[in-house]
Amino acid sequence: MTVLSVLAQLSGPPFESLPIDWHALAPEVVLLSVAVLITLVDSIGLERARPLMPGLAGLGLLGALIPVITLAVEGSDRVLFGGAYVVDDLSLLLKAVFLLSGYVIVLLSTNYIAEGDYWEGEYYNLLLFSLLGMVVMASARDLITIFVALELLSIPAYMLAAWRKGDRRSNEAGMKYLLMGVFASAVMLYGMSLVYGVTGTTLLEPIGLIFAEVGTASVITLGVIFVIIGFSFKVSAVPFHTWAPDTYEGAPTPVAAFLAVASKIAGFVALISLIYFGFLGQSDLIEPLLFILATLSMFVGNLIALRQTNIIRMLAYSGVAQAGFMLAPFAVAASDPETSLKAVVTYLVIYAAMNLGAFAVVIALARKTRSGEISSFGGAFQYAPALTVAMSVFLFSLAGIPPLGGWFAKFSVFAAVVNAGTTAGYVMAVIVAVNSVIALYYYAQVAKTMWMDPVPDGDMTPVGVPPSLGWAIVLTAALTLLFGVLPGLLGDVTDSFDLGHLELLAFPG
Amino acid sequence: METTFDLPANIAFGVIAVAIIVAAIRVVTTRNIVHAALWLVVVLGGVGAIYILLQAEFVAVVQYLVYIGAIVVLFLFGIMLTRAPLGEMLDLTNRTMRVGAIITAVILVTIMVFSVVDSFRDEEVDFIAYSGDVAAAQTFADLSAEEQETVLDEVAAIGAEGTDLGPVGRTETVSDSIFRDYLIPFEVISALLLAALIGAIVIARRD
Repeated sequence: MTVLSVLAQLSGPPFESLPIDWHALAPEVVLLSVAVLITLVDSIGLERARPLMPGLAGLGLLGALIPVITLAVEGSDRVLFGGAYVVDDLSLLLKAVFLLSGYVIVLLSTNYIAEGDYWEGEYYNLLLFSLLGMVVMASARDLITIFVALELLSIPAYMLAAWRKGDRRSNEAGMKYLLMGVFASAVMLYGMSLVYGVTGTTLLEPIGLIFAEVGTASVITLGVIFVIIGFSFKVSAVPFHTWAPDTYEGAPTPVAAFLAVASKIAGFVALISLIYFGFLGQSDLIEPLLFILATLSMFVGNLIALRQTNIIRMLAYSGVAQAGFMLAPFAVAASDPETSLKAVVTYLVIYAAMNLGAFAVVIALARKTRSGEISSFGGAFQYAPALTVAMSVFLFSLAGIPPLGGWFAKFSVFAAVVNAGTTAGYVMAVIVAVNSVIALYYYAQVAKTMWMDPVPDGDMTPVGVPPSLGWAIVLTAALTLLFGVLPGLLGDVTDSFDLGHLELLAFPG
Repeated sequence: METTFDLPANIAFGVIAVAIIVAAIRVVTTRNIVHAALWLVVVLGGVGAIYILLQAEFVAVVQYLVYIGAIVVLFLFGIMLTRAPLGEMLDLTNRTMRVGAIITAVILVTIMVFSVVDSFRDEEVDFIAYSGDVAAAQTFADLSAEEQETVLDEVAAIGAEGTDLGPVGRTETVSDSIFRDYLIPFEVISALLLAALIGAIVIARRD
């Protein structure tokens, strides 16, 4: 008798693994393989491999997009691990957003990281790992998977924020982000443990059914509030936004773009999963809580953004306000679950394109001005007309002017809150409208500086835009215009979401 | 196998809980950072003891190995290697911070104690509920004492097969669920550790 068979007898019946649907997991597997490959190439090739890194990372992200497309074409929903991991149209759209944003971030980083004295292989490695966490988050329907995905996407981001090692402000950025992020994780984890304590399961689906069934209980209230507060830090909603401006300003600018877009969207994806698949039954709690968060984020973000003189800080506060717009539909989450969910997703997709574009132009212009002050961009139209036009497209899209993408995003949010037909919904619609007007002022102010003001130092040499950066701006500008001119494209995708469960959670019995 | 806490377990829980609370308060009030790390050992050890009371031996052993064996030792090394002052530091906390901390702590504790007591009242810990099957737990609670005894014997007999009713704390159940239901988080954590390692080396090295 062999040792193995003795062991097998001692330990009872043999372990049977669950069958794994490799097609459904292919995007994650590709991403993980490329991240590991980058580490290997970097450690073997050393300095010689440096120029390969951005290309490898970019190709890896596009490569991971292929299985996302094949899964979308094939079309059937795949449920893995007893409901803990779901690959459906909603999660596939979000995965595509993460992978494309990641690709644009790689394009933004290519020259920035190569020209500064940075660790290059490790930079793309951490970027891919962080994106892997986001791609996992898009499918996670289980508290433990959500938490682990959150940590995988956050921890590399803390380190990327401190990537300019010689600069004290970058160190401060990383440290502040780390401390705030860890604190938020702890609060959220405590909330999750309370939710688990009440329901006895980590899967969102049974949690949703139990929450819809039992009504209110103070432990559930506390657990849900803690979990939502944890993710409010991630999406930089007021009053949990204080880290954002300092971190964005100190971090390398492509990393700031990464935090402002990919990382923020990942926080919203987690909120979508938690609220629309788990907490919807607690509507008496969810709706007022998110109403307050959304209102505060819009007003505080916009009012502080008005007074910023640094473009990155202005984009940070505008990001806080944009988070408020994205939180607005959550305030009617239970009254009209389907429309509000689609509005949030629509806003997320368009926000990714327009905000990445704005950061791309800032990176391109800062190559000449070497400054983040808005006044230093004065007269940019005279020496960089194409960049100025692109920036105006992004800024007016962020403000929500038709026919740019941001218009359709704002319209979806507005339609969702009005459509719900509740008093809170109508009040929210007024707040959204007022804030759109406030936001227009500071976006237009930047555009005015770039078109009208004189060039501050009289230096009219044109800006050299490297090909990767130019391609990133063209790509994001094209998408921003496309979503605005043909909003039906995105509408068709969101209409294909299978949301049959929402009625069950929101209106039990 | 006990279904609920009995008297000795309740007394043990009380003693451990008081020790944890006292030690936790000392962690944040002591002015000596090395002492704070050592008080943390007491807190983490007490939590491990509570895991044992809850019949989760595996988690308890991991708690001792990882938290006390590795993390606190890492803290102490960190304090030594960064040449942080080892003695008392008088400027560690100031008066306004202390007032704020006390107010926050009191409010938070009140809310948490209220909500836990309000929701659970005198419900007792029912180990079968940890199987994740709430309906089964309810059915179980409705049975008479003898019937419960029979069910528990059956559960103990089939528990080794890793059925849904197996006690969660057991090592075998833990390992089965890690490689079965929680395969994705498990693999994601391995990616996370690799990323953290690479990033930490870049941030920490001198260049």
